[in-house]
Amino acid sequence: MKSEHDLDKVGSAGERGLKTDPLPLVSLHNVNLGYDSQAVLQSVNLAIYPGDLFGLAGPNGSGKTTLFRAILGLLPILGGSLSRNCSLSNFGYVPQSAALDPQFPLSVAEIVEMGAYGRVRSYQVFPKEEKQRAGEVLDQVGIRHLIKRSFFSLSGGQKQRVLIARALMVMPKIMILDEPLSGVDEESRRTIADVLIKLTREDGLAVFFSSHDLTMVQRVADRIVRVDKGKMWSEEGKTSVQR
Amino acid sequence: MSTFFEIVSPSYLLFPALLGTMIMGLVCPLIGSYLVLRRTVFLGLTLPQIAAAGVSFTFWLQQSGLVPQWEQSERAIGMLGSLLFTFFGMGLLGYLEQRGKGLAEARLAAAYALAGGLTILFIVFNPAGQIEVLNLLKGEVIALSQGELRLLAAVFGGVLLAMVAFHREFLLISFDRDLAFLLKGRQMIWDVLLYLLAGLIIAFGVILAGPLLIFGFLVLPALAAKPLANRMTSFLLLSSVLGVIMAVFGFYSSVRLDLPLGPTDVTLGCFLIFLAYGLSRISTRIGVTVLALLCAAATLSSCGAKTTVATVPEAKAIHDEQLWLAKVKNSTASTLLLPAINPLRSLAEMAGKVSSDYRQSVMDLLRDDLKIELEHRGFRVLLPEEKDARFVAFPTDTGAAVRVAREGKLSGLTFVGEIRRWEVEAQKFVRVLADFKLIRIDDGTVLWERHIQRAIPTPSATNVGQASTDAVREIVRELFAG
Repeated sequence: MKSEHDLDKVGSAGERGLKTDPLPLVSLHNVNLGYDSQAVLQSVNLAIYPGDLFGLAGPNGSGKTTLFRAILGLLPILGGSLSRNCSLSNFGYVPQSAALDPQFPLSVAEIVEMGAYGRVRSYQVFPKEEKQRAGEVLDQVGIRHLIKRSFFSLSGGQKQRVLIARALMVMPKIMILDEPLSGVDEESRRTIADVLIKLTREDGLAVFFSSHDLTMVQRVADRIVRVDKGKMWSEEGKTSVQR
Repeated sequence: MSTFFEIVSPSYLLFPALLGTMIMGLVCPLIGSYLVLRRTVFLGLTLPQIAAAGVSFTFWLQQSGLVPQWEQSERAIGMLGSLLFTFFGMGLLGYLEQRGKGLAEARLAAAYALAGGLTILFIVFNPAGQIEVLNLLKGEVIALSQGELRLLAAVFGGVLLAMVAFHREFLLISFDRDLAFLLKGRQMIWDVLLYLLAGLIIAFGVILAGPLLIFGFLVLPALAAKPLANRMTSFLLLSSVLGVIMAVFGFYSSVRLDLPLGPTDVTLGCFLIFLAYGLSRISTRIGVTVLALLCAAATLSSCGAKTTVATVPEAKAIHDEQLWLAKVKNSTASTLLLPAINPLRSLAEMAGKVSSDYRQSVMDLLRDDLKIELEHRGFRVLLPEEKDARFVAFPTDTGAAVRVAREGKLSGLTFVGEIRRWEVEAQKFVRVLADFKLIRIDDGTVLWERHIQRAIPTPSATNVGQASTDAVREIVRELFAG
């Protein structure tokens, strides 16, 4: 099952039989990633197409977030080539909620509305239709009733769903989710998994999420890449097996 | 004077100062909120200190002749120094931050210590006298002129507009830099703009209000608003509202109790923080409501605290016309002699009323004006020293005054006054603490008394003598006109 650094197997169109797929939204070729010239991941090959539901599994500290940050342009790559066929504003990024500063007194509505900031000019009054859309994306993740609540007073699962709603507010082509299923209750986990599947199947979005729990990734993702000890390889996911 | 609504009335003499404080209280917390949320509160402490070093530096340069004397006012020159040092300091701190060496807190602490040290050293070097420079550094907002108020309104108004217009960008860059990068690209400009706006209000605020008050307005309202707000918009709004409350009630307390404005405001701000944390234990909505009610109650009680201030009664009203007007007692540490250039003295000399080596004092001025007004009230005013040259100033202690009068075989009424504090500050206002009494000598009854404790603005004064003269007129006007 294991095949290291294999672009054809990791996210290739051929495996899904989608020969007519457009260009990959993101592709990495022999990319080295790390900090201060110290490589964390080496020779990463990956291509993500619209409709892909990718799971990235690996233990803590294996470089999952590093890979995401490189894809999002937040971290320069140390070598190889990385190309994106959509602008960065088409990326919906869901960070780990613990990475956000609880010092900020923000309501759920304010967090979700941030996703539209790229479309709203400075000094412009926040448009009504964007407010309406904020309600809709919260509906999508099933927590519209929490719209007035303080974000940092929510449970882990609720926070995660709010951040997914914020990413959807961006109107993305690709969603990158950093550990969306970690530290959340079972109900939230199911809802999040359902939302991710629905986004890929019905809306044609590409979804790339990470988790340190391989079983969880296997239950949700169509295709899986694993990272550990600086290496990356692919495994088949749920749908491939079920197909 | 001194009811709440009188102080906030546009006709009040210190209204420009109150307005200036309110503007600072409104705008500073908006910037301060971001400093608090971004965990850079120390920057709000360090930058005003750097600005203060800039003020003392430019004064030192100018007074020591290293740069030519400028025609602009002292405050304008101080403002230039404040601006230059603030932006240089911000640039240097930003550069060190980019290099990422050491702890941010350590850099700010070192910068604060250095700026504090330099401020004192430049003051010590200054040959022009430390008191003047210290006064400017204290930033007496009470001496705010109309021109300075306009400048303050323009600068702070601009900052307010920018904060409102770009609030989304400031929030995004402060809360989630990654999302800001994805949506708006590498937008260092928003960080720069936020710190530029902070630098502007700090540089201008320090010279107009002093570093302590500016730091207080930046940080304390935001800290007080935090436990009561669960939305960013309500947090910013509440910070500003609390800043204005701090400004108004601090100003009111300062005037009523004759306390320095900066420390009074800061103390009030700290009280608001404790109050807010106490209220937050109830619930946010109830907390805000209780806070609003407390403010309203304080306003009403300060309005209700108006004591009917009686003016000096008419002679007919107390059925006694003979009044011994004692010399006003000077209980300050200073002689309160007016400068030799006092034009009133020249007039007196010309009239042959005083010798050329006689110098008039504040007490003389005050008694002269009191005499005129008392005569207008129908009193037949007599001077004790005309009866017996051994009479000196009477004490304001009733028993002692009556004893002195009886020993001197005086009868009827006596009017006594005592100056306990008389400080002319930068010729812009005079801090006064004085007591006056009208006593019936026969039975020791106090028919009228008045305690004056306040800063009297003297905006048109061009020298210390003129400021004292103007202040004396204002006191007498207050005693007789209410």
